[in-house]
Amino acid sequence: MKGTHLHIPSIINLYEEGDLSGLNIKKLGQYLQEKTHIPFHLRGNLYKRLPEKRIMELTKQFARIRVKDPGKQFVLGKPLRAEIDYEKRRIRDPHWKIFGILYEGIFYQKVISGLILGGKLDFKRCTIFFTNQLFGTYDQDDRRYHTRVSLYGFPHLISITGLVEAPAKPREFYLKKRMGLPLELLKKEYRGRFIDHGDVRMTEVLKGYAMQALFFHLTGSPFCEDRNCRLFNSHWQEEVIHAQMDGKYEFCPRHEAILEELRKEVANAPKKNDWT
Amino acid sequence: MTKKKQIFTPVSEKEVTRAIVDGFARQFIEYVESDCLIIGGGPSGLMAGRDIALKGVKTLIVERNNYIGGGFWIGGYLMNKVTVREPGQKILEELSIPYEKAVKGLYVADGPHACSKLIAAACDAGVKFANMTIFDDVVLREGNRVCGAVVNWTPVQALPREITCVDPIALEAKFVVDSTGHDACVVKKLEERGILKTLGFGAMWVEQSEDLVVEHTGEAHPGLIVTGMAVATTYGLPRMGPTFGAMLLSGRKGAQVILEKMKKK
Repeated sequence: MKGTHLHIPSIINLYEEGDLSGLNIKKLGQYLQEKTHIPFHLRGNLYKRLPEKRIMELTKQFARIRVKDPGKQFVLGKPLRAEIDYEKRRIRDPHWKIFGILYEGIFYQKVISGLILGGKLDFKRCTIFFTNQLFGTYDQDDRRYHTRVSLYGFPHLISITGLVEAPAKPREFYLKKRMGLPLELLKKEYRGRFIDHGDVRMTEVLKGYAMQALFFHLTGSPFCEDRNCRLFNSHWQEEVIHAQMDGKYEFCPRHEAILEELRKEVANAPKKNDWT
Repeated sequence: MTKKKQIFTPVSEKEVTRAIVDGFARQFIEYVESDCLIIGGGPSGLMAGRDIALKGVKTLIVERNNYIGGGFWIGGYLMNKVTVREPGQKILEELSIPYEKAVKGLYVADGPHACSKLIAAACDAGVKFANMTIFDDVVLREGNRVCGAVVNWTPVQALPREITCVDPIALEAKFVVDSTGHDACVVKKLEERGILKTLGFGAMWVEQSEDLVVEHTGEAHPGLIVTGMAVATTYGLPRMGPTFGAMLLSGRKGAQVILEKMKKK
């Protein structure tokens, strides 16, 4: 893969919000470092040091970017009081467990970018933000919103709730759910065939998504067409589990070669101490 | 030949009529003004009514159907088992409703048993009902504060206006609760008047929708508390499965909001 121009960051910053049960973020950081030889830094909860005034502004920003009707294109609205109050409680509690609101993904990324990167592109740092909240993007083809596991850019957003909700579960699961069968019974019946909240496989699976984020940073292209590669863009839960846990290899030969090239370049690069 | 003894005391038809009219009229006059007027007698409205009435709040529930209980009689697919998720079963225990554990965190009860117990609990607490009565409009005061509802007989609204030109009447209250389910009738009426904007009913269906309904339960507009599925309509929250825990807990939270606000008044 000689000749591939890589945007190599000097640090991988890992931020978080809300309850990330099931995800061992330190273990994930260690994996990224092992694969890339780029150091990582756990930055903790994004909102922990924000002044009260900034929190108040944020609550309004988040309350405005809720997708109310996934079948319609998003319009910035005027939030209701209860929605702002809800966001206040959510931001103030670093272990906030509740999710289910669908946020407009591009706007969510913009809000987080404003907080971490001042709204700018930053190739020196690879910033990954893990959340338990749900975001989606509008698809022009079928004219509706789709929930997403990840949204790559500056920063990269990865949602652990998105991992459960976005890739489709087995077809029969949805048919039975429409008949009114309780979710708990369905989960019992289909156990193992999809990633659930607090799943022990969460960290392992999210390593692949974090690598996709990193490849986006390095090359501008996060995905691979090889369903055995961790960079495969899975649409079904069974594809996620296969690509991240049961594939023939971790990375296809092409992406393994890019990683090899990256490690060499990192080893030869002058040492920096960029922890910002 | 001995005369057969009658089981029931003989009472004339006119006495029966007088008893009905008198009993209804006395209660209706008393409740033309109440502390809290709850529109919708489903599980969240009943729960809210029961909790506030236990604290001595004068409460009237307006229900458009003849029967009280809304959708609490049956669960999904018209099957008469209702499910609640943890911690909803604590309310079932409080109301002495028998239930069984289905799987971890999920409990199942008989719909008729659960619903009738909840209605009885509301009645025992002192809640009064105006059934076959349909919400027509809101009563507004200074600053567009909601302080009552305009109602009519349900059959009147079901008939063409040319046949039944029956004007509605107004009931006043310190607080009005919209527990009309997906319809969110009271909130929608404020929307029609350009006072409040509802956000529709989210089409997604995620596991935590119940939590979101409880989290968003509260005062949506001065004087108007929203509970139950009306919360989902008001704030565009995702759809829920047929579990009733959120309805019970949302009703309870609505009651807490009312009690706190009454204390401050």
